[in-house]
Amino acid sequence: MYEFSQLGWLKHVIFHPVEGYDDLRWKKKGSMKIALVIVLLLFVAMVVKRQLTGFQFNNSYVKIFNIVPLFVQSIVYFFTWVIANWALCTLFNGEGTVKRICIYSAYALVPYIVGTFLSVFISNFIVSDEIVWMNVIYYVGLGWSVVLMIQAIRTVHQYSFPKTILSIVFTLVAMLIILFLLVLLISLFQQVYVFIASIYTELTYRFRG
Amino acid sequence: MVSRMKKMFKNIVSVGLALSITAAMSVTSYASEPYVSYNYDAWGDAIPSQSGYRVDETITGYEMELDKLADPKSDLFISEEEPTDLSGASDIFYEESLKEFWIADSGNDRILRTDSNLKVIGCYKGVTGSQTSLDAETGLSTFSNPTGVYVNIDKTTNKPVIFVADNKNARVVKAAIESKNSAVCTLEYTKPDSELYANASETFNPSKILVDSAGILYVVVSSVTTGAVVFDETGEFTGFYGANRVEQTAAVIRQAIWRKFASNEQIASMTRNVPVEYANFDIDSEGFIYTVTEAANASTDAVKKLNPAGENIWNTATGNEYEFGDLTEYASVDTGSFLSRLTDIVVDNDGIINLLDYETGRIFQYTQDNDLLFIFGSKNSTSDQKGTFTAPNGIEAVNEKIFVIDGKKNDITIFVETTFGKYVHEAAALYEKGLYEDAIDPWNEVIKRDGGYSLAYYGLGKAYLNTGDYEKAMEYFKISVSKRSYDRAYQYDRDDFLRANFTLIIIILLIIIVAIIVLRRLIKKGKIKLPKIRKKPQKEGK
Repeated sequence: MYEFSQLGWLKHVIFHPVEGYDDLRWKKKGSMKIALVIVLLLFVAMVVKRQLTGFQFNNSYVKIFNIVPLFVQSIVYFFTWVIANWALCTLFNGEGTVKRICIYSAYALVPYIVGTFLSVFISNFIVSDEIVWMNVIYYVGLGWSVVLMIQAIRTVHQYSFPKTILSIVFTLVAMLIILFLLVLLISLFQQVYVFIASIYTELTYRFRG
Repeated sequence: MVSRMKKMFKNIVSVGLALSITAAMSVTSYASEPYVSYNYDAWGDAIPSQSGYRVDETITGYEMELDKLADPKSDLFISEEEPTDLSGASDIFYEESLKEFWIADSGNDRILRTDSNLKVIGCYKGVTGSQTSLDAETGLSTFSNPTGVYVNIDKTTNKPVIFVADNKNARVVKAAIESKNSAVCTLEYTKPDSELYANASETFNPSKILVDSAGILYVVVSSVTTGAVVFDETGEFTGFYGANRVEQTAAVIRQAIWRKFASNEQIASMTRNVPVEYANFDIDSEGFIYTVTEAANASTDAVKKLNPAGENIWNTATGNEYEFGDLTEYASVDTGSFLSRLTDIVVDNDGIINLLDYETGRIFQYTQDNDLLFIFGSKNSTSDQKGTFTAPNGIEAVNEKIFVIDGKKNDITIFVETTFGKYVHEAAALYEKGLYEDAIDPWNEVIKRDGGYSLAYYGLGKAYLNTGDYEKAMEYFKISVSKRSYDRAYQYDRDDFLRANFTLIIIILLIIIVAIIVLRRLIKKGKIKLPKIRKKPQKEGK
């Protein structure tokens, strides 16, 4: 059986999509620190993709740079994914804990992040006739990450393949619900805040008068 | 004594300075236009821009000296009751060889002829030699709501020939001009007898007309949706020209699907989807016909450039994007429920296209490549200012001036190009001819006056691309956000770089390969130790 350092395990998982996660689970390895760094790198990758893609390929609206959507699309989505998946799969005999789901999912993101960085780098040296190189790298990274993610969920919950796919679909639905509730909650609290603030203003006027 | 002298001198100097400053201020202060000039950037955002045109003057019936028509002492006298103002004027046409304006004064049922300063030199209430709409007193076949006018010169007699779209009399009159107020009808185009026309429309009320160099007459009839009605030089109806397409809205697509299932009776009861007819057109010196569709917010075929076969050259389906008029609702004017309604188009001798928007009162000026040059003019706000319109009906471009005729304010507004506009036109004309390098100087002058004018940066980029200064070209294309051109400049730049540094690149590659081989050897021999990812296998059962 293998013995690696934490980074070695990451490498092993990525390059062994079939049994990598099984080994990781069997050995009870995987580092939360590395997982969090990966999620942070995902965020960085999204910012880099928006800001540093070669001029002729960059379709983003460069007049305004708003970091919030990028933050939501990377970090918030990731943790919503983890929580939704955990909440759903514990109900359906999944064996994963929050920590493990988080680590395994984060490990699966690495090819996508690498693919994004590479394609952004290449985009600065190619002309639009050669755009296929950029796309190939990006989509290979994406596809690889999808495969890894399916493996991660399958392993962490010890599901069969069809059940994994089903759980992923329902996790996406659960993410939607969570985000919807979150937005609702935020707007409700905003109203409560406005209400309290207006009472406070009213009172200050009364007492001053 | 000396100090006193000094003091006096000081006073004089200070007063003098103060005076000169006020004088300078009075020189620089000027009445600005009653609207904000703007332009669209690469993202379709409206950004403020220098104005390319300023309002020169507004001409009413008084300035046109229309009172001469009612003055018995004048040689232009027609009758005491002749109106001395314009009324609902709907078309203005400039005849280049005569240097005369011809105005369809629709509300007063007459055609006015003026010199290049818009002073009246002739007035036509009707023509002789026709029985239609005959006035028993004068013997004239009078006009009734003439909405379109076109003039050219007869090649044999060298006399002007006038074409009038006599809207309410359902005819187009071709008449030879005899004098200041008389014209002899030589041909009358009436409703065609053919079945083809009967299928298209039951009425024939011409609104705008156009004659090409071969003498073929094109008539816009508002009830005909299959294009302009075409008559040959003998007055024979020959067909239709350049129909618009139906705009693909959701309702149209839904109906197209329903038609597949519906019975014949149901289909008969459905509304027909017909294209919107075009409102106006113009012909350029090369014989291309430009049409404009007045339907509110039309996106399909809003503006077309038709070749002699009636095909649209500015077709978005061929790959290039053609956009005309306002892209977004620009905040300075309350536009009501519609964004834009393009009502008239005019192409000047340099091929510059001016569009008149009835809804917002704005004039949009484009080059032949659909590059937006200027937007100016405005709808009336609360006050009746120069340069604002109530019912802008027609537009005409003569050299550096633009004439807009207003059917409710009954005046003609003259815009004249500014210095900025002059530089832009100069540069655009050179650019259009492909003389990119010659355009560098005027483009730089443009940027000096408006640093946000992105077409100038594009022009400069093109110029430097032509001269082989690819890095400078890339810089300018980046500012003007023209990705395709940037891509080309970058490709040339990269080719140059690779060609110049080919040996160096090969050497560096060889060095790297050798270094990797050497390093591997050294690692194998254990002379260099790498931090290990793989731990040594631990003992079982730990």
